Amino acid sequence: MPQTILIVDDEQSIVVPLSFLMEQKGYNVITASSGEEAVDKISKFRPDLILLDIIHPGLDGFEICQLIRENSEWKDTRIILVTTMVRDVDVAKGLAFGADAYITKPFSNSVIMKQVRELLKGA
Amino acid sequence: MNPNNKFWWFAAIAVSITIIIISCLALLFWQQLAPEEKLLLLSIIKQNFLYIFSAAFLILAGLGFALDGIFHVYIIPTSKLVEETTLITSVNPSHRITIEGSNNIMRLARIINEGADRYEELQKNVEQKMDLAKAKAEEEKNILAAFMSELPEGVLICNAEGRILFYSKQVKLMLAGADNIIPDSESGSDKARSGAGESFIGLGRSIFSIIDKNLIVHALDEIAEKLKRKQADISSNFVVVGKGNKLLRAEAVPILNHLRKFTGFIIIFNDITQQTEADRIVNFMLQSLTKSIRSSLAGIRSSIEAIIEYPDMESAQLHKFRKIIHHECITLGSVLNNMSSDYSSHFITQWPLVPILDQNLLESIRDKAEEKLDIIIDIEYSDDHNSVKVDSYSIILGMLYVLNQLSTEIKNRKITCKTEKKGIFVNFDLIWQGNPIKIETLRKWENQILILKNEELPLSLKAVLQYHEAEIWSNVCDGERDKSYLRLILPAIETYESENIRRITILPESRPEFYDFDMFSQPGQVPELDDRYLNELTFTVFDTETTGLDPRGGDKIISIGSVRIVNCRLLRDEYFEEFVDPERSLPFESIKIHGIRPEMLKGQQTIDKVLPLFYRFAEDTIFVAHNAAFDMRMLQINEAATGIKFINPVLDTLLLSAVVHPTQDNHNLEAIAKRLGISIVGRHTALGDAIATGEIFLKLIPLLAKHGIYTLKEARIASQKTYYARLKY
Repeated sequence: MPQTILIVDDEQSIVVPLSFLMEQKGYNVITASSGEEAVDKISKFRPDLILLDIIHPGLDGFEICQLIRENSEWKDTRIILVTTMVRDVDVAKGLAFGADAYITKPFSNSVIMKQVRELLKGA
Repeated sequence: MNPNNKFWWFAAIAVSITIIIISCLALLFWQQLAPEEKLLLLSIIKQNFLYIFSAAFLILAGLGFALDGIFHVYIIPTSKLVEETTLITSVNPSHRITIEGSNNIMRLARIINEGADRYEELQKNVEQKMDLAKAKAEEEKNILAAFMSELPEGVLICNAEGRILFYSKQVKLMLAGADNIIPDSESGSDKARSGAGESFIGLGRSIFSIIDKNLIVHALDEIAEKLKRKQADISSNFVVVGKGNKLLRAEAVPILNHLRKFTGFIIIFNDITQQTEADRIVNFMLQSLTKSIRSSLAGIRSSIEAIIEYPDMESAQLHKFRKIIHHECITLGSVLNNMSSDYSSHFITQWPLVPILDQNLLESIRDKAEEKLDIIIDIEYSDDHNSVKVDSYSIILGMLYVLNQLSTEIKNRKITCKTEKKGIFVNFDLIWQGNPIKIETLRKWENQILILKNEELPLSLKAVLQYHEAEIWSNVCDGERDKSYLRLILPAIETYESENIRRITILPESRPEFYDFDMFSQPGQVPELDDRYLNELTFTVFDTETTGLDPRGGDKIISIGSVRIVNCRLLRDEYFEEFVDPERSLPFESIKIHGIRPEMLKGQQTIDKVLPLFYRFAEDTIFVAHNAAFDMRMLQINEAATGIKFINPVLDTLLLSAVVHPTQDNHNLEAIAKRLGISIVGRHTALGDAIATGEIFLKLIPLLAKHGIYTLKEARIASQKTYYARLKY
């Protein structure tokens, strides 16, 4: 059964290529454009990995990270923060909230795919 | 005791003793007589009773008249002579003795007056020499003061206890009235506090009433640590919120004596509000720019990489990616466009522009053009007065530069100039006979650095115009084709005119003296204050103007004026002056006295707003007022409504004057001022009277010392005696 990836971003210019890329690699892709929609889809679809933007309407990426890590049922979900926030403190904060990886925009597709593969290998 | 009473007590006692002695002698004489001699004496007395009684009455009456004569010719004049001589030798050398008395006393008064003339002359000579000697020091002091007042930074100097020793004008502008007061637990929780959160800056006041004590203590601790570590930079920096929520960077620097012992500190304040706001905006702009660019680039990059990686993707998918790339490219362009316009409009506002009337600016340009360039400008004045905001130096230099170029170009050193408001702009037109300046020429001028003889501004005319959001062009005059103009166009601003309210002042009789307020038992009369010398205490001299003279009958305060005395100096700059809306009508009789008309009180604060401010202004000081019982009563009747209780100890110049000049009949403000050589400016304005009262009080302090009165307690007790003496009448 294909693994599920949730892409959370309010920018369609990010969601469209990432979805395409993940689907080409055989993953099942779902998307969300706000924090609330993301939480809803996490509880409904239990994705194996989330590509999570930080700044978007509703709950931000940090808050979603925290929610996931506080919920024991979701603890195995892998999280990659994909964001325009590039300060070292933001990276530290994201990792402290339980993100497995932190990728800054603009990113290379190969880098993001490599991270996804590595994180889902052990899942 | 009043000399008048003293003398009559003495006369009564002397007459009584004389009568007792005569009675005793008569009794002894009576006992020596034989019975038949007693009968004979009685019969003689009976037969001649009328003569004996008349003789005794005449003797007593003669004695009474003689005593009265002595009293008025010798006793009173002598006392007055002493008082008035003291006046001459202490506080008012111009005072001259004018008394009625015996020839000898009058002669003595003339001699004293002659001596006073010489003394005054001598004193004037000495003062002149001292003034000359002081002048240089004063000049240096003035230069320093002017320098301090011109500094953009605020400077405040405190002693080790945090009492303010010096502050520059900027500190007052930056901090006075700042709503950053931290309640001071040491000052007692029972005190009423200002609800308005106003803070006052003044010499001798505590810095802690302006800046949070913890901040200062933290800064001083940091300095102490740095001193211990012998660091080169020993200052401590912190940020405080000033008046109008201004953000101030404060730098505290210690003052050490020659033994390197801490004796005080200097705090230098910099207003960083604008800078911080500018930084914040720039940071925000940079951050949002970075985020937008990153976001768009992410979309573009990801799409392109996908296209490259999957060259055989479906055409619909490919079209999606192309659209993304196209859209993100447009987004990037608009982000950059918005950014550049936001950035430039923000930085134009950073240029320090000040309002000026168009005609004033034109006159400055005309004067400078004539002086520096020998160009004659003929101004066509109009009735309109428009204001513009400029950095006068750069805009005048810019215009002079243009004039110089223009006069060379048109070969004419006479140019007409006029201003005119058109819509939201003000046009400054330079007009001449001939053709307009070509655009290329003007462009060339605009791009050159502004250099004019020995003046140079490292900016181009274009840059100066941009900073002013101004523009310049040349064209043919409308309707006069043989004339051309060169127009500088500046954004117009609203014209502000200050409203000067003049008061009518009519001199009336003094207000009655009030005895229904016990000002000798104020809660603030604590032993620590009571035993301190008058010349080292801090006083708040105040006066109130009221709707009438009957506090119990509903008369209200309409104005409070006050100044402070610190270290025997009347601080005219540290004043409190507030009009108060009495929320009732203003009787015409009272308007005649103080000249305050109802319209002047319209919209002013009510007493419940003003009294908390005055409370803060006068906190921890001694009140001084003339006929203080009246003013204190006026404050007291508002206690219940405002919750503000004035507990300050009180001194009354009326009573203190009676202490030092007991033989003088008149102790109203004018009479005392005249006696002490003080001219009152602004009589019957609360502030004017407060200042006069302060000056009187300062002159009374050395006179009180001559009566052995040095401390607050001694002054109060002496006043109290006079007070109750007055109550008897």
